Amino acid sequence: MSGLDGFLHGLEVATSPEVLVWCVLGVVLGTFVGVLPGIGAMATISLLLPITYYISPESALIMLAGVYYGSQYGGAVASILLRLPGTPQSAVTTLDGYPMAQQGRAGVALFVSMMSSFTGSMIGIAVLVTLSGMLSRAATAFGAADYAAMMVLGLVAASTIGSGSAAKGLAMVVLGMILGCVGTDVNSGVQRFTFGQTQLLDGINLVALAMGLFGVAEVIGNIRQAERTGPPPHVALRALIPTRDDLRRMPMPTLRGAALGSFFGALPGTGSTLSSFLSYGMESRIAREPERFGKGAVEGVAGPESANNAAAITAFVPTLTLGIPGDPIMALMLGALVIHGVQPGPMMLQARPDMFWGLVASFGIGNLLLLILNLPLIGLWVSMLRLPFRWLYPAILVFVCLGVWSVRGASFDILMVAAIGAAGYALTLARFSPALLLLGFVLGPLIETNLRRALLISRGDPMTFLERPIAAVFVIGTALLLAHSAWRAIRARRAARPAV
Amino acid sequence: MQDRQDLAAGAILAAIGLAVAGYAALHYDIGTPRRMGPGFFPLGLGLALALLGGTVALLRGGQPMPRPALPELVAVLSAIVIFALGVERLGLVLTTFVSVLVASVAAPRGGILWRLLLGCGVCVIAVGVFHLALAMNLPLWPRR
Repeated sequence: MSGLDGFLHGLEVATSPEVLVWCVLGVVLGTFVGVLPGIGAMATISLLLPITYYISPESALIMLAGVYYGSQYGGAVASILLRLPGTPQSAVTTLDGYPMAQQGRAGVALFVSMMSSFTGSMIGIAVLVTLSGMLSRAATAFGAADYAAMMVLGLVAASTIGSGSAAKGLAMVVLGMILGCVGTDVNSGVQRFTFGQTQLLDGINLVALAMGLFGVAEVIGNIRQAERTGPPPHVALRALIPTRDDLRRMPMPTLRGAALGSFFGALPGTGSTLSSFLSYGMESRIAREPERFGKGAVEGVAGPESANNAAAITAFVPTLTLGIPGDPIMALMLGALVIHGVQPGPMMLQARPDMFWGLVASFGIGNLLLLILNLPLIGLWVSMLRLPFRWLYPAILVFVCLGVWSVRGASFDILMVAAIGAAGYALTLARFSPALLLLGFVLGPLIETNLRRALLISRGDPMTFLERPIAAVFVIGTALLLAHSAWRAIRARRAARPAV
Repeated sequence: MQDRQDLAAGAILAAIGLAVAGYAALHYDIGTPRRMGPGFFPLGLGLALALLGGTVALLRGGQPMPRPALPELVAVLSAIVIFALGVERLGLVLTTFVSVLVASVAAPRGGILWRLLLGCGVCVIAVGVFHLALAMNLPLWPRR
């Protein structure tokens, strides 16, 4: 199916009443949790996973995706008005969005962020369609060794690129992969690490793991913090109207941000947080008056907001065409598809055109809805910021418990959530990333299967990873990343030593 | 202080890694690279985690750890455990109500009346969403 035919077919799927309702629900809920500091897209998607058992796989994927990109729109609201990023992706938006709000230009900042988000998403969709077609054709040349090497590269990239310690990130990935081993080994039928618990035969439940790590651990950490905010400023609809100068400054940063976001979103392991930071860095560097940045520059809102939304869309490229999630949110999406018996991969475009094109078309519809709904409803979202977290979290906890229970009616899983939540909270305190643990958990079994297959084909010769050109590129990339972070750690230690 | 925190975390991870590797080596068939047994991958992962945990302990970087929110932790975990143990015996309504009350103990503000009101509100939503809308097979009231 060619691009245009496919898109038109997708529009049919995405505008059917049932799917449309879930799409609207997804984007509205996404905006809501994006606005609220204290609960993010990750926690919400984990919470919604059990509900997707009750609806069609198309509706499920479209709703969950709506939550994800909807939260990006909402995240900007809290960033601009309170300097509290509702989502990590919108953290950069505080840098210039909040100063704009202090100058009484909160409305304009919100307008800029929404317009740029919309434009970024639209460009992201175009890139998604182009790249997926190309990649799914190229991916038929991928063998088991190539898949295994690419997944390892994705995991190493996710844990070494970014702010935290690379050793801590890699440790989380490996710990996640170990947890992924629990349960019946598909190749031999041996029960691994179940310790005689029949409840663990199918492995640790993804829903329980995600809810414990993100739902429970985030709630514990946020009960006290989320109350310490002042009242948000009042934003009238008329305050949204930008000046001619603002309009002139918007388009170029938006386009550059979209290009950057589309590129980094499609790479496994980088994602939308990184691209919004990169976009901000680029805009402040090429600006004619860099001193305006940090004091309410329109460009500093337009670029990053466009970048993170474009990246949120193109992040679906590796997930859908290769079956490899580039970030933890995509890992949850993949999990949702697998729950429904859909295996994403190169064949998905041909085998499930309804799902692929329906999702693509729903991106367009959902983003349009967000733009149409959010501009007039901005007053409503701002008033959401007044809702105290203490009204929400007990309800969130009950929903977590009921959601986990509903998967297979096992109270055991609820107890697992409590244990995982405690562990997840301890990990965040010690500055380990639970998101990387989840990524390792999802990719671990896939890596093991492909590794086994690759070495079976090569008769146990590990050189297959260097002899196959595609795999070799990924292996070399992985080695370079590891060498770079080792070098960075050594240099940081040398620099720190005299001060100690 | 920050040194000791990463030292402890790294040591714990390394110990977990060694335990996993040891358990896998003792209980599962390792096999050969060509025909891997079920123990091969966990053994490798366990050793990798031991190595990485050791690295974390050695590097000891990072900022000091924030104070753990212990009352919140206890309240939230108790609420979940109460829910897990109660839901099939006491039914949805009572369990939800008690869990919300326990969880709300950690709330920084709000009196007893607010807690009761919140409990009733969450009960109504839980019954509405999970019993009426999703028709989940859970008893509403204690079994006789």
